[in-house]
Amino acid sequence: MELVVTNAVASVGPAYSSRPEDIGWFILALPLFASLAIALFLHRNRTLTLFFSVGGVVAAFLLSWVLFFTFGVTGLKAVPSPFPWFHAGGLNVNLGLAVDGLSTVMLLVVTGVSALVQFYSTAYMRDDRGFARFFASLSFFTFSMLGIVLSDNLVMMFVFWELVGFSSYLLIGFWFEREAAADAAKKAFLTNRLGDFGFLLGIILVWSLTGNVQFDELAAKLKADPNALGVWSSVVGLLIFCGAMGKSAQFPLHVWLPDAMEGPTPVSALIHAATMVAAGVYLLCRAFFLFQATTAWPAALAFLGSISALDIIAVIGGGTALLAALIAIQQNDIKRILAYSTLSQLGYMVMAVGVGGPDAAMYHLTTHAGFKALLFLGAGSVIHACHHEQDIWKMGGLGRKLPVTFRTFVIGTAALAGFPLFTSGFYSKDAILVASVRHGHPILFGLGVLIASMTTFYMVRLVIVAFLGRSRSSSAEHAHESPIQMTWPLVVLAIPSIGLAWLPLGQYLTEHFFGSRVAVEEGGLFGPFNHAPLAATFGTGAIIFGAWAAIATYWNAESDPLPRSLAFWSRVLRNRFYFDEIYEALFIPIQDGLAAVCGWVDRWVMSGLLVRGVHGTTELAGRALRMVQTGNLQTYTFLFVGGVALIILIAL
Amino acid sequence: MLTTLLLLPFAGALAVLLIPANYRVILRLVALITTAVTALQAISVFSAMQPGISGFQLVEQAAWIPSAGFNYHVGVDGLNIGLTLLTSLVAFAAVCISWDIEKQTKLYYLCLLLITGGAMGAFLSLDLFFLYFFNEVALVPTFLMMGIWGRGEQKFYATYQMALYLTLGAMLALVGLAMLYSASGANTLDVVTLSAWLGQHPLSASSQRLLFPLFLFGFGTLVGLWPFHSWAAPGYAAAPPATAMLHAGVLKKVGLYALIRVALPLMPDGVRTWMPVLAVLCLGNILYCGWLALRQRDLALLLGNSSLAHMGFCFLGLASVSVTGITGVVVILVAHGLLAAANYALLGHVVRATGTSSLDKLGGLLRPMPVVGFFVVLAFMAGCGMPGFANFPGELGVLFGAWDRLPLVVIFAAWGGLLIGGVYMLRAIRSLLHGPVRAGLESASDAGSGIALYWRSLPYAVLLVPLIFFGISPDTLVRRIEPAVIPIVKSASASTPPTVDSKTPSLTSISPR
Repeated sequence: MELVVTNAVASVGPAYSSRPEDIGWFILALPLFASLAIALFLHRNRTLTLFFSVGGVVAAFLLSWVLFFTFGVTGLKAVPSPFPWFHAGGLNVNLGLAVDGLSTVMLLVVTGVSALVQFYSTAYMRDDRGFARFFASLSFFTFSMLGIVLSDNLVMMFVFWELVGFSSYLLIGFWFEREAAADAAKKAFLTNRLGDFGFLLGIILVWSLTGNVQFDELAAKLKADPNALGVWSSVVGLLIFCGAMGKSAQFPLHVWLPDAMEGPTPVSALIHAATMVAAGVYLLCRAFFLFQATTAWPAALAFLGSISALDIIAVIGGGTALLAALIAIQQNDIKRILAYSTLSQLGYMVMAVGVGGPDAAMYHLTTHAGFKALLFLGAGSVIHACHHEQDIWKMGGLGRKLPVTFRTFVIGTAALAGFPLFTSGFYSKDAILVASVRHGHPILFGLGVLIASMTTFYMVRLVIVAFLGRSRSSSAEHAHESPIQMTWPLVVLAIPSIGLAWLPLGQYLTEHFFGSRVAVEEGGLFGPFNHAPLAATFGTGAIIFGAWAAIATYWNAESDPLPRSLAFWSRVLRNRFYFDEIYEALFIPIQDGLAAVCGWVDRWVMSGLLVRGVHGTTELAGRALRMVQTGNLQTYTFLFVGGVALIILIAL
Repeated sequence: MLTTLLLLPFAGALAVLLIPANYRVILRLVALITTAVTALQAISVFSAMQPGISGFQLVEQAAWIPSAGFNYHVGVDGLNIGLTLLTSLVAFAAVCISWDIEKQTKLYYLCLLLITGGAMGAFLSLDLFFLYFFNEVALVPTFLMMGIWGRGEQKFYATYQMALYLTLGAMLALVGLAMLYSASGANTLDVVTLSAWLGQHPLSASSQRLLFPLFLFGFGTLVGLWPFHSWAAPGYAAAPPATAMLHAGVLKKVGLYALIRVALPLMPDGVRTWMPVLAVLCLGNILYCGWLALRQRDLALLLGNSSLAHMGFCFLGLASVSVTGITGVVVILVAHGLLAAANYALLGHVVRATGTSSLDKLGGLLRPMPVVGFFVVLAFMAGCGMPGFANFPGELGVLFGAWDRLPLVVIFAAWGGLLIGGVYMLRAIRSLLHGPVRAGLESASDAGSGIALYWRSLPYAVLLVPLIFFGISPDTLVRRIEPAVIPIVKSASASTPPTVDSKTPSLTSISPR
């Protein structure tokens, strides 16, 4: 079938024919158009702003379904319609769309969550003076993120990668008058840039080794010859991973994500749960074929032997997951708990890719997008109700006052913890645990179980402290349920947190990556217990243990007992292992020190070198040239004509 | 068509000369209309030029001094087509932002139009004598403008320093041209004839090695090649905004343009000897000037050093001697021209509205001036290599093109472009626009409201809209540029056995054996 489609297009030639894959361009253009229209013309009119912004993303969401059913479900191969972008020498870059099983699922996630977040924001941001700016930025962010999803080559991916960095900068720094928000935006952008530095070098290296940046052509090339990347294959893998490390906030570039909570809460739900941070994992999945190349290291790194890039990625992912889960246990700010939880779950997904299960990673990404957006929006509802109080120890008893928020939040918590049988989180987490067992990583499996248990612990802690017991502050005392525009998106998001459990999404993704259902056996509710009882049982056990520990510690607690019992370790966790302080002490002085040296050299050596030289040696020339400052045109013209005379003299 | 384009600014200058000095509004209108018509003409030239063909188009020539071989010869190809468009757009924007000039209005617009005409002539002329001549025609009014309408206590010293560096640089280049003229034996400085002649009778390797540095350092100084850069940042800080726009945006590009047009294709042996040196010096621009920018607490000096850092990418592209790299350089020339002009225009507005360019005295300006602030964010993002602006594809081409020959330099350059550039631009936005509004700046004037808003935003839009257009579709430029670059790279790497820009590059240069 593939051949037929290609021939058909080849015969059509340059003449345009409408094809369903071109819907992708509309999906991409709609939010961009909305954003531009608002920024340039509509910013004074709130109704039109909302109409364009929300309308654009909803239309994109609906069109994404069309693509999903046309190409995702059927497996039909889309033919990209590339526009030339930069063709010079050996570098050939086009703008083209990748429409396949992977991108169509991701499209649904991105547009779906974006649409709900926009609906929610209409109420959350109602009184903000930057209302139009907010929606313009949000639409622009959606555009950039959709660009990442639809890119069919590495350079275009990098383009949108940077644009996502820029639009998240705008959104995190939305309340730019607050010092903390402005600093957080800057930090997020620059930390991401550090990862992009590696990513860009990785792209250049891939191009220089293969002469290509196109995903499908690279994949075909590597399939034909797994040694195509030579001794650089593992280095390429790690460099590309650098990009993912920045966007998906993996250790050691994780520091920006918690600070980014300074942005408005809907932004946190959109970019720090479902989209931007998922981009890193998506990149790893999109470029997974690069990691399947033969493991090889250049001579300088030969000591790494048979350790592959994927192994390193798995360890970094697992490490990040553990680190973040530990920190989350001792955070008191509701958004920060969720932020570290996001870090931890992203680590989980990266680990899944590392153990060779991109399908499991994508599965978890999809389910996580739903329930984490739910949790963030729920947190937003809580914060809104408590007059911008974010400390969970100043809440309490909110369950009765915010019934809808409470119930949906519990569903989200259950899904995040991976409550067996009923929640989507259970199945996707199970897929990761299974992948780590299958591909021979027992230690990472153990780590995964441990983290699952810790996840349950800190989420149950959050629910007990914030929603149960008695109110511990007047703002919690007088809290009211948020308006309907904010609660119905919560209800809608609660549906996939449960419902995705019943859809064969896992099998669908496995088929996409491995072409068959070999890797996953039967689905169904009890599937996990049948085909991989070990993983499912351990996963369930971890949840029960975590929940029990949290209930035992926090039921009716007035304050956190852990700081007393853990003393030193609690302080370390609360201070996030001092990463920010360490970075500040290490890297900033180096960069600023180099700058200071250059500044000194320039001031005392370079500056006016020629001026002083001329003054010292030939005062005459100096005088002649100083006439310029008097604005004496004739003198200068005279000198110039003299020069021309000189050239003619030499010529003749 | 090209002669019209070249004569338009001079005709405007003549008209300004004839109008009495106290007819300020008429003077302004003449300058505005002249540059607007020039811009329209440049756009029609741009669209009249056929992409994908090598060689000069729309050529017009006339004999001038046949005995000496100096002829009037204008034409466009991929190298200068974008630059002529750039010149006209920047000139128009410069007139727009100069609306409030009260002091010696007549002389001001005369200078401005002469700079425009000079730059246009330098880019259009295919005879090197005229290229040099027009460059000088543009330089003299530049210094005049700095001296008369400049700002700051260091104004005269900065002007003096800039004049000294630029004049010495131009003199070196002049000596180079004179020696080329006599050594070639072609009895002409016409690019077309000269290249054909030198293709048949190449200069001896030793004279190439001697000549090449004259061009490299002569023209290089005009661009701010490290270590001959120290004129640039203080010079632009002292210059009036329109002059800084025209020099940093347009006139400075003549040096790089001449290097690509003359030095590269005519002296392959010189290229081989001196390009490794350039590969090191370009890091001086990218890293050293980048770090300098990081140090600055004055926005004007920060922008000046940032502009020098961008020039480093151009030098890296030259040193790569590859089609991809040099195509990237030409894209940067246009992109950086638009960006530098936008930067200095915006800086001019900030200084006018707040009375200072010191970042320590500014802050939170996004609240009182949202429109200008919006343009500043766009411009600064373009300045740190954000895709969507034309600087990005240019720098990308340079990095890709240079990788096979100079992988280590590319790594440092990418660091400089992504990280150092990111840090100083974001710090600048942070100190200038973000945070609470500084006391006293709450009512700093924005671009105005109502119809004035559109008029005041026009110069920024004229510069940033094409920057974004070429950023989204660099192909519009690239398919015009590449056919012109291919023969240049071919002659620059003549007599080198392996091809420079092969489709399946080897990694021998970076594999550690």
